[in-house]
Amino acid sequence: MANIVLDNVSRSFRRDGKEFLALDRVSFVCNEHEFVAVVGPSGCGKTTCMRMAAGLDFPGSGSVKVGGKVVKAPGPDRAVVFQQFALFPWKTVYENIEFGLRSLGVGRDEAADRIARNLKLMNLEGYESAYPHQLSGGMQQRVAIARAYVLNPDVLLMDEPFGALDAQTRTVMQEELLRVGRANPRTVMFITHAVDEAVYLADRVVVMTRRPGTIMQIVDVKPVRDAEDWQKYERIEDVMDLESFVHLRTRIWRLLREQHQPGDH
Amino acid sequence: MSATRDPSRLWTGIASVVAVVGLWIVGSRTGFIDRQVFPSPPEFLAAARQLLIGEGYAEGRIHEHILQSVKLILMGFFAATAVGVPLGLWMGWSRRAEALINPIFLLIRPIPALAWIPLAIVWLGLDDAAKVMILWFAAFVPSVINSYTGVRGIETPIIEASRMLGVRGWSLVKDVIVPGALPSIFTGLRLSLQGCLTALVAAELLGALLGMGKVLYQAGLDIYPAMILAGMVAVALVGFGLTAVLDFVERRSMPWRRSH
Amino acid sequence: MGDKLKRAELMWLSLAGLLIFFGVWTFAAWVELAPRKFLPLPSQVVERGIELLTQPFSGQTLQGHLAVSIERYLSGFLLAAAVGVPLGLLMGWYRWLDNVITPLFDSLRFIAPIAWVPFAALWFGTGIGGPMMIIFAGAFAPCLINAYRGARFVDPKYIEAAQVYGASGPRIVYEVLLPASLPSIIAGLRISAGAGWQSLIGAELIAANSGVGLMMVRAQGALDTSIVMVGMVAVGVFGMLVDVALRGIEKRVQRKRGH
Repeated sequence: MANIVLDNVSRSFRRDGKEFLALDRVSFVCNEHEFVAVVGPSGCGKTTCMRMAAGLDFPGSGSVKVGGKVVKAPGPDRAVVFQQFALFPWKTVYENIEFGLRSLGVGRDEAADRIARNLKLMNLEGYESAYPHQLSGGMQQRVAIARAYVLNPDVLLMDEPFGALDAQTRTVMQEELLRVGRANPRTVMFITHAVDEAVYLADRVVVMTRRPGTIMQIVDVKPVRDAEDWQKYERIEDVMDLESFVHLRTRIWRLLREQHQPGDH
Repeated sequence: MSATRDPSRLWTGIASVVAVVGLWIVGSRTGFIDRQVFPSPPEFLAAARQLLIGEGYAEGRIHEHILQSVKLILMGFFAATAVGVPLGLWMGWSRRAEALINPIFLLIRPIPALAWIPLAIVWLGLDDAAKVMILWFAAFVPSVINSYTGVRGIETPIIEASRMLGVRGWSLVKDVIVPGALPSIFTGLRLSLQGCLTALVAAELLGALLGMGKVLYQAGLDIYPAMILAGMVAVALVGFGLTAVLDFVERRSMPWRRSH
Repeated sequence: MGDKLKRAELMWLSLAGLLIFFGVWTFAAWVELAPRKFLPLPSQVVERGIELLTQPFSGQTLQGHLAVSIERYLSGFLLAAAVGVPLGLLMGWYRWLDNVITPLFDSLRFIAPIAWVPFAALWFGTGIGGPMMIIFAGAFAPCLINAYRGARFVDPKYIEAAQVYGASGPRIVYEVLLPASLPSIIAGLRISAGAGWQSLIGAELIAANSGVGLMMVRAQGALDTSIVMVGMVAVGVFGMLVDVALRGIEKRVQRKRGH
């Protein structure tokens, strides 16, 4: 069972000699094959939650479990798509995607097969021998996603993956992600500060407060999406026009706004 | 690779050095390390003692040797940097000067300082003058290059701002060019100093009356490994000392710079 | 700073610089400011150099001496790189290795490479081990330091990505740290190439029976200034060629990475 469970997680950091609480008893669950978006203001600790699921960070108290087991270290079973892509500049597109497969000990032929399929899936055919610096931002992020997908991971962790892209590329990538996700559903924790993006992509949206981060509310999107059949609309802008969409988005927006008092930055 | 404030790192460091010294002691005691190849700790200490407070070696005690070496280094260093730094600054500032001087400089630059030794000996014999000449060439090249780089590295907006403010002539040099190039100049000074140290030891190894290189040379001739080691330690300490002084001067002259 | 010079002006000034240099030299030699023995004409130096290609001096022709020096140099330099670079990378990853080796390294760092000559002569006599040891002493530090710094300051995101995608220790060092540090490593190789070459010449000046350094020392003893100068030119030219080659490699790596 591939689910993510954060149970009463707290985390404090030390900076400039002072200790401050980043996460305060955060608990939420990403069920198997569920797409969960985590939104919140800057510094609320949402990225830290993802990093703990990835094994790149550890809770001070409480536990983070994936598939029932406490997370102790990073690994290819919890593939990460980073905001800054983190592709190896000295490896070609093919070699970057291959990296994780080699860790899993997948044979040459099977690897070639899987890579070819994922290149096709992410519209990267023909770019096998290109180096990351030769590609646009959108294409680089596609490579990063392919690198994760090719492993067929149970859990996919995405840290504001479209944050570094321009607006047009971002919408294309969001549509693609949805399309690909429908074909191969998996457990996803998706970090973003863009509420539109969260509502469009997710089954549930976890709304966090600002620092110290706690869970403000968890909003169910899936029931609305299924009821209103957003799926039949090909393009993002058509979905975003729907009243049901706008309603959800405004609701979450208000939740985030409540936290800001006059005088806050 | 400087030590951080991590205390456990300090202890591991000390342990590491202690372990090596321990191996030295044991290896020597058991005869594993041949005493004719590398001295035993007691032999080393005896040689060091002789050099420091005993009858001296190679015609002098350690302070006489160090004084002689440091004297020459300072002479060569200051003479070279007094010419090299202004020259580098000028070449960095004036494209004309650069065009004129660069070809000559490019001819001289690839010749390592030590390669000047035979010529210096032919021209000036085996005493101090020849050594200062060698040290001059050792210190000259790095100071020119780094001063040049320092000027070239001053960001254009700063130059343009000073132009707009009407800063010119000596004031321009004093208040804009030199401070801007100062970090790079100091890098050059450090390289010049290291170059001088190497060149001097080499020159003294070839022929000298006094000096640390002389100690090493004599010890090699006499097949006196303990004294060789003592001489090497002296070289290291002098190098460390001179570098520390330079670092101190650097920190004092650039209070606006945060060290890392 | 002055604006860039026009091509023509640049050329003329450079030419003028060279002419002044050789002009002053030739003039001073011509009027025998110092006896010809000490201050030969540039033409004399060239002639002597050509002679040396066919007539041996101190046992070898010019190319013979050069070949010996170059062989020693390459052995020492490659050894320094082969030990220094991997060790630096490993120290950049494995903290314990760093903690153990750095203090030892720091204590030896201040010993000028040339100071090892007496021990080298004692241990290796006139064998190739002696020069190799001195070259190693000069070339080792920059290789180690630059590899270490390169590895230590690798952007953490690459290390995290590597760990997420299943790589551990050795694979991280080889597939992430090494390529990421390559620019730093090559810069280190350039410095150590120069330091190693100078160390070799120094060693040959003091304790050798062949090689360019030895040739220069014998020429100095015989007051054959021309040969001394030929030696200096040969040393300078070879050092420059190595540096140019490494700089070429550096540029190629940068271009491949898209810089």
